Amino acid sequence: MATHEKVDVAIVGAGASGSTYAAVLAKAGKKVVVIEEGPDWQLTDLISSDIWGRRIKPAGAPFLLEGKNPFGYAYQAGWGVGGAALHHFANFPRLLPLDFKIKSEHGRALDWPINYSDVAPYYDKVAADIGMSGDAKAEEIWRPTGAPYPMPPMKTFRHGEVWLKGFAANGIRMVPNPVAMNSTEYKGRAACIYDGWCHIGCPIGALANPPATYLGEARKAGAEVRALSTVTRVLTNAQGSKVTGVEYFDEKGERQVQQTSVVVLAAFAAHNPRIMLNSATDKHPKGLANASGLLGKYLMCHFASGTNALFDEDVQNHMGTTGNQFMSYDRMGKTSHNGAFGSSLIFCGSALKTSGLGGFANARLDLYGPELHAFMKRAARGFSRIGAFGEELPNIENRIELAGDKDRFGMPLGRIIHSYDQDAVALWNANFEEGLKIARATDAKEIWSARGNMPTIHLMGGTIMGTAAGNSVTNSYGQTHELPNLYVAGPGLFPTSGAVNPTYTIFALSLRGAEQLAANWSTVAG
Amino acid sequence: MHDIERRAFMKGAGLGALAFTVGGAEVLLTPGEARARSVPFRLLKENEAETIEALGETLVPGARAAGVAHFVDQQLSVPPGEALLEARILNVKPPFVNFYRAAMAAIDRASMAQHGGRRFAQLSTSEQHAFVGLMRQNKIDGWQGPPGGFIYFVMRHDAVDVVYGTIEGYESLGIPYMAHIVPEKRW
Repeated sequence: MATHEKVDVAIVGAGASGSTYAAVLAKAGKKVVVIEEGPDWQLTDLISSDIWGRRIKPAGAPFLLEGKNPFGYAYQAGWGVGGAALHHFANFPRLLPLDFKIKSEHGRALDWPINYSDVAPYYDKVAADIGMSGDAKAEEIWRPTGAPYPMPPMKTFRHGEVWLKGFAANGIRMVPNPVAMNSTEYKGRAACIYDGWCHIGCPIGALANPPATYLGEARKAGAEVRALSTVTRVLTNAQGSKVTGVEYFDEKGERQVQQTSVVVLAAFAAHNPRIMLNSATDKHPKGLANASGLLGKYLMCHFASGTNALFDEDVQNHMGTTGNQFMSYDRMGKTSHNGAFGSSLIFCGSALKTSGLGGFANARLDLYGPELHAFMKRAARGFSRIGAFGEELPNIENRIELAGDKDRFGMPLGRIIHSYDQDAVALWNANFEEGLKIARATDAKEIWSARGNMPTIHLMGGTIMGTAAGNSVTNSYGQTHELPNLYVAGPGLFPTSGAVNPTYTIFALSLRGAEQLAANWSTVAG
Repeated sequence: MHDIERRAFMKGAGLGALAFTVGGAEVLLTPGEARARSVPFRLLKENEAETIEALGETLVPGARAAGVAHFVDQQLSVPPGEALLEARILNVKPPFVNFYRAAMAAIDRASMAQHGGRRFAQLSTSEQHAFVGLMRQNKIDGWQGPPGGFIYFVMRHDAVDVVYGTIEGYESLGIPYMAHIVPEKRW
């Protein structure tokens, strides 16, 4: 075992949130070490292929996936620098004011301890930092005003445009989708060339994945990244009043200890509570920062209701970006659908590839043999789809626990237990019905719902923020209530999930937390 | 610079060449080339590979010639972290060979029980098609092994990968592949 010289900050995970913390703190002059479980991918590793792109996702979950709707871990998680944000689609809608106060306004779910106005300045800062394209003015029919996006909207293509008359006929207003992509060159990074390979990592830096943005900045400012290193525990002092370091296993499987003044847990949302539960001591017998018993609780996912269509024209569905072309907040109201509760985000115009989970070969899973080939020929020319994300409400039964089985480092596996309730199923069904109504109002020749197993998309909760140690794990900055120099970052902080892709909010909350930490350094780290 | 000029087709992208062992030396071949040259399988037994080929061809015409069994075999032989199989994304627990062995055994067991001792690869094309139709829906009585619907899902991805996931596959459907440029700089 080796014990490393003490640093100012040890950040666990080099994804969206860890990279943001690393950039802010390294630029503030702190000695930063980022410990990352997976490889140190370079942009040149990001081969344009759905098949090769699977390398940037995990192989073998350290979790048992249980419940009625087991979490689809490997598709959602990341493995290596950039984390899940290395393969995300860069859709950057934001939460709306109504997402922060569901308990107050509807008497159900949870409130956030902050308001939209607390996060909005950080949405704007992130957009300027990493580059975003879109039309903020158009979005302001639904949300408070803010800074314009630094770049104009992305180009649009026929496979998105063919849906617009269907949305209009149903009174749904569509606007250019805000994306963390470059419609023009930005800060020395190239403009997008609309090849549709975003989902396996953009090798030209036109998409704002962490290696091309905050992580690159952090490294320039002196942050060290230790790849292929798996953190198993956060270490605390004898009094149990502060954290003192992290235990990890390096590429060779050798145990290491990194001493540090501050720990930021910025791993995937499922990993942070697993590490905290595994860090139990006699002073923290239920795991770190778990006086409330809520550590690992309130996991949430999004579910998509897709509607497929074949058009009798060449819609060029291979063109564009994996991010969407258009989106609408018109169904974000929690009671937008009769008989269902929760927000929905409507979108269309994602570029399509042939293979993989998102490939259009999966649009008719019932077909095989010559019938599949005939479909593929037609779909290559005329297939397109729309979708709606639905909001899952926090349910304390959806949780992460430690299992009896252990991984190769002797760390207990986690159990991710996840089931949708009737609210979620009702909203999922309502969005399917609306999708068909929209499709019927287009010129599509065939339409059908993309029903299958109810999907589990994104992962939020597990280390929720709140007002006090009795109702949450952290405060609104991600600082744990019980250990002032232990921070948690990422979507695990969300008390409710909204219906929007979480990464923009992850960046914004991480920037807010990192700036608070830097501004209060002596109090927190002293 | 014009967008089209900025694109450079990356030779080998899509699926491309993988490392196969020929005469004791590692050479880069596509799975289809490996099959054409009768490259020995690394992990799969002959009957397992035969079942994978027959199932792949039933799912996606052309999968046999595209080397679906050599693709799966080569990918099973590398560390899980390097594997390109969709099984990885579908949360199959490594080592992935355990799943494929169990799946092919389940298929052959059920085929032999239903078709007078004939393995799946020995069935006629129409019998194979009908068998897969039932397997997909988990409707084969006495099934033992990984669920038939899940085997269908995983193997259908493998067959789609080798037939439609390659540059040649995109070309066969009339879709421009459009690989990104190879970055000259890392960031």
